[in-house]
Amino acid sequence: MDKPPLVLDPNFSGASEDFPAVLRRKGLLQVAPEPTAAAGGHSFVPTESTTILAFKFSGGVLVAGDRRATAGNTVVYDRADKVLEIDRHSIMAIAGVPATAWEMARVLEHSFQYFRRTQLQEMSVDGKVRALSKLLRDNFGFVMQGVGVVVPIFATYDGNSKPEARLYFYDAMGAQFEVTDYAATGSGSPAVRGILYYENHWGRKKLQELGEDDAVAIALRALDTAAEADTSTGGVDRSGKIFPLIKIVSRDGITTLPEEKVGAVFKQSVA
Amino acid sequence: MIEEPYRWVEAIANRREYIETQLAQGSPIAAVGYRDGIVFVTLGRARQKIFEIYDRIAMGAIGHPGDIERLRMAAIELASTEGFTRSAADVSLRRLAHYSLSPVMKAAFEQVYGPPYLARLLFAEIGSSPKEDLFLRVDYDGSIAADGLTAQPRQRFAVLSGTRQSAELMEKFLQKEHVTDAPLADAVNTALDAWSVGKMAISENGVKELPQRDVIRKHRDEQLANAAIEAAALERDAKSAIRYRILPGEELPSSLQR
Repeated sequence: MDKPPLVLDPNFSGASEDFPAVLRRKGLLQVAPEPTAAAGGHSFVPTESTTILAFKFSGGVLVAGDRRATAGNTVVYDRADKVLEIDRHSIMAIAGVPATAWEMARVLEHSFQYFRRTQLQEMSVDGKVRALSKLLRDNFGFVMQGVGVVVPIFATYDGNSKPEARLYFYDAMGAQFEVTDYAATGSGSPAVRGILYYENHWGRKKLQELGEDDAVAIALRALDTAAEADTSTGGVDRSGKIFPLIKIVSRDGITTLPEEKVGAVFKQSVA
Repeated sequence: MIEEPYRWVEAIANRREYIETQLAQGSPIAAVGYRDGIVFVTLGRARQKIFEIYDRIAMGAIGHPGDIERLRMAAIELASTEGFTRSAADVSLRRLAHYSLSPVMKAAFEQVYGPPYLARLLFAEIGSSPKEDLFLRVDYDGSIAADGLTAQPRQRFAVLSGTRQSAELMEKFLQKEHVTDAPLADAVNTALDAWSVGKMAISENGVKELPQRDVIRKHRDEQLANAAIEAAALERDAKSAIRYRILPGEELPSSLQR
């Protein structure tokens, strides 16, 4: 009598909900306060202490990140993974607060799978790019409070309409920018951007024409350069043999380059 | 109407009869273990009937599409939130069925003023070794039949069909024909035969005993002429954490030659 004739059981309305909405309904995802001008009264200071880079080369997209994690001017960890696999063809590389970034990656990973399982089809690349954008936007309240800023790069391979590698970078508010050649974020990124711009315009080959070994060499040189001036970027630890993490997205999926391979290229072309 | 207990029992019995009639035409599904995993096989014309629930869990279903969809969504949501808050290793089919699905289906079935779920579900969960595989069937009234929870001898297969008789005949067939460590193509082949047996048992003058081999084969070929095979596998040693894989049509013909 009190109920309207057509009620969707809230426990079973999964079809129209995305995964973050499911998590919020169950109280499993922290909701950021709405950003207000008066939030703490302090201005927004970006604190992405790291260096992440990605560029397209002949074998797909190469994504590389240093391994250092810092708190203020203390190095807390030298084997951090900032290049994260989200699904078989997508990588999210993160600069920013690790706690937020890793949680975001986890939500994203589950979102893509949840979509595929419930909707019985793979989420489109545009849908995936937008999903990350929404997570960043939802997080902006924390950013304005001075905690939880994340500035990611997203690399994926679009197998559907026109098979090609796609590369995006984001700002902390969730705006997404698709790039044709390269992207870099984090505190060491100005130096990296300079190198990639130089290589792409006046190098022996354009970045998109590089073979794998040359691409890896340029990535390592760029990170080493970034570490030269930026204390928050680990670069290459020559004594501890800690190398940057490098992953490649291609039509066949994601390959993580083994340390021996990165080490060999390093020895030959960088050291 | 049902203020007296025996009326309630009567109402439940009527409801059971009604649901059984509704489900009776459901096309059978067979899930059989093979050398490298578990494969789900059925034949259909229109609707998808085999689904991915989580990394290591697959589901086959017969019944009303709306009810199947609601149960499927619930299962995916429960598994996904569990896998998100804890880890993929903590998602367990046993708990999903016993703790979440069964009580909901039982309650819907026994509240005679509300609609029951017109659905019968078959789940399988792949473990790290065949010993840890689990096959589990949840019926519209919430009752559960499982292969793999106890120390009893294992069969490593499970079936789902419109009628009890059909399911029993399929099981009888598989007890005779199923080889635990057969390659995938052989397993699909056996599962298709089991499907045929089940289908013959629910047709109008249904068979009561196991038909001869050539009879099964003839029936199967007739059915294959105007329906498509739907098959999906849970692969034990898949490189990724996701073990579920739909078997595309081009992988199937090799198993039809035998």
